[in-house]
Amino acid sequence: MTVSAEKAGLRSAVILPLGVAGVFLLTWDVVVRFSGSELFPKPFDVGKGLVELFQKGLLFKYVVASLFRVTWGFALAVLVGVPGGLALGWFRRAHEAFNPLIQGLRPISPIAWIPLAILWFGVSDAAPIFLIFLASVFPITVAAAAAVKNVPTVYLRAARNFGLSPQQLFGRVILPATLPQILTGLRIALGVAWLVVVAAEMIAVNSGLGYLIIDSRNAGKRYDLVVAGMIMIGVIGWLLDLLMRQMERIQAVGWAYGNRGE
Amino acid sequence: MSTSRRISLAAAVWVVAISLLHLRLNTHAFDNGSSRTDRTGEFRVGFIPVTCHLTCPVNHYIHEQMQGAGGFEPVRFSGWPELKEAFLSGHLEATFILAPMAMALREQGVPIKIVYLGHRDGTTMMVHKDSDIQRIEDLRGKTIAVPNRFSNQRLIIFRALKHRNISIGEVRLVEMPPPDMPAALAVRAVDAIISGEPFMAQSEMDGYGRVLFLTKDVWPEFISCVLAVNEKLIDERREDVQRLVDGIAQSGKWLDADMGHRMQAADFTGKHYYHQEPRLLRFVLSKPPDRVKYTNLNLHRQDFEEIEVLAVESGIMQGTVHFEDYADASFVKDESTVVPYVWESSP
Repeated sequence: MTVSAEKAGLRSAVILPLGVAGVFLLTWDVVVRFSGSELFPKPFDVGKGLVELFQKGLLFKYVVASLFRVTWGFALAVLVGVPGGLALGWFRRAHEAFNPLIQGLRPISPIAWIPLAILWFGVSDAAPIFLIFLASVFPITVAAAAAVKNVPTVYLRAARNFGLSPQQLFGRVILPATLPQILTGLRIALGVAWLVVVAAEMIAVNSGLGYLIIDSRNAGKRYDLVVAGMIMIGVIGWLLDLLMRQMERIQAVGWAYGNRGE
Repeated sequence: MSTSRRISLAAAVWVVAISLLHLRLNTHAFDNGSSRTDRTGEFRVGFIPVTCHLTCPVNHYIHEQMQGAGGFEPVRFSGWPELKEAFLSGHLEATFILAPMAMALREQGVPIKIVYLGHRDGTTMMVHKDSDIQRIEDLRGKTIAVPNRFSNQRLIIFRALKHRNISIGEVRLVEMPPPDMPAALAVRAVDAIISGEPFMAQSEMDGYGRVLFLTKDVWPEFISCVLAVNEKLIDERREDVQRLVDGIAQSGKWLDADMGHRMQAADFTGKHYYHQEPRLLRFVLSKPPDRVKYTNLNLHRQDFEEIEVLAVESGIMQGTVHFEDYADASFVKDESTVVPYVWESSP
């Protein structure tokens, strides 16, 4: 790489995004000053709010709480959704039987489930975990089922010609062939799971980033903390997505992404 | 090690680590044994961070300071629907709740009994400081935010308009969670807001809200919230309910005995229970001193009969249940015998 190309790379990877972020913060600050709003916080107020949360030890506690709920909700969704989706994709009858129910449940927002979640699970950690599970299980199931359906018939024929047992067929053909699509489904589902954390923590739990937002509303004029909570959710959601992108680089699925730019 | 093994291992380590961290930081799972055993046999009491429910944390805090344990577990909610659902699911054995909501739930077959009042007064109607609304009559054609259709804050509007021969159809009522009300008034999304404190005082302290009325001036001895329990609890653990009601009554007397007590309560509830500015709570509890009261909390039939009539008129009750169905006044027969807590907060 030449020096000028390196410079260009640095410019697009660091300087441009930083520039956009800077302009965004400046616009935010100017708009708030210009509007004379006493309620809406300026970026500096939000920064001070974040420092305050950090110093009180709340920031770490709340991040842990939200990650805990998302981890369990998402893990349960993977445990149910991946095998379930693979089975639905493989067995035509199962697909015909269950697909209408899944398609009917899928569009229901987790917020609509809040009353039932409280009735079933009270106000413990189980209720938000259930909501996060609901939000992420359907994208995973649908992705896994579609992945199996998309396995080219020629792979299956070839496998039969080699005389593969059902276990071998699953382990050597179906799983590697479906993994890239399943991983994409997981990435989308994790994004959705993190997206519903605020709604899920509206239930009377006493920790978490979603709770931070609700709690700050109760506290009167602390909209700096509301926005601080939003920013933390955004940053962590971004990091989670980066992590899931790393998964796509693993060897077993590399074949599907070989010629992609990212 | 293969890539998939490494990923599985990393995922397993993550699940265990985040779970242990969460249990350590956000739950009582790792508390030492003694305080945990104290908690068994306790029951959970729901509340919302409004001054109408102040005796709940005050009782818990003083009890804890005097005896080392709170005697019950206060569970904080942010909204009425969630609190109601937690009670219906049996997760809460007792709760502070809107009086008309408890009565309507009883009518719908829920085994709920009101055992004591939470407070008297403590609700304010605020308008924007630049608003042309000067008297209740000026509310004609305006939009008013109320906390919930089952709130007595809604019924007080019905009552006030009726007394002035104004039809309820002449105002527009919208339901809004009280924490959102000050901001809604600030940007004049609504013309007036009414709810329990301290949300109303927030707009007053910040300078854009003006008091249209305090409940004490429109409906003296106004009741917004009551202490209610699951009926089963009265049958099975009457002594525990008695202890809870006694504690609430003693806390109320303690609050009203001395302005110094109120200021102490503002500090410790703001810090440990409500997560609100103690300064705001001090304002609500002192300006004026009878903005909210915590004595005269006995259940009186005529108070509830008046609410019943309004509840039927406003369409939230059919009127098929009455005082003896939804209330049990036997826990404190004579409030004058209640002795306030003897306790001072050490600075």
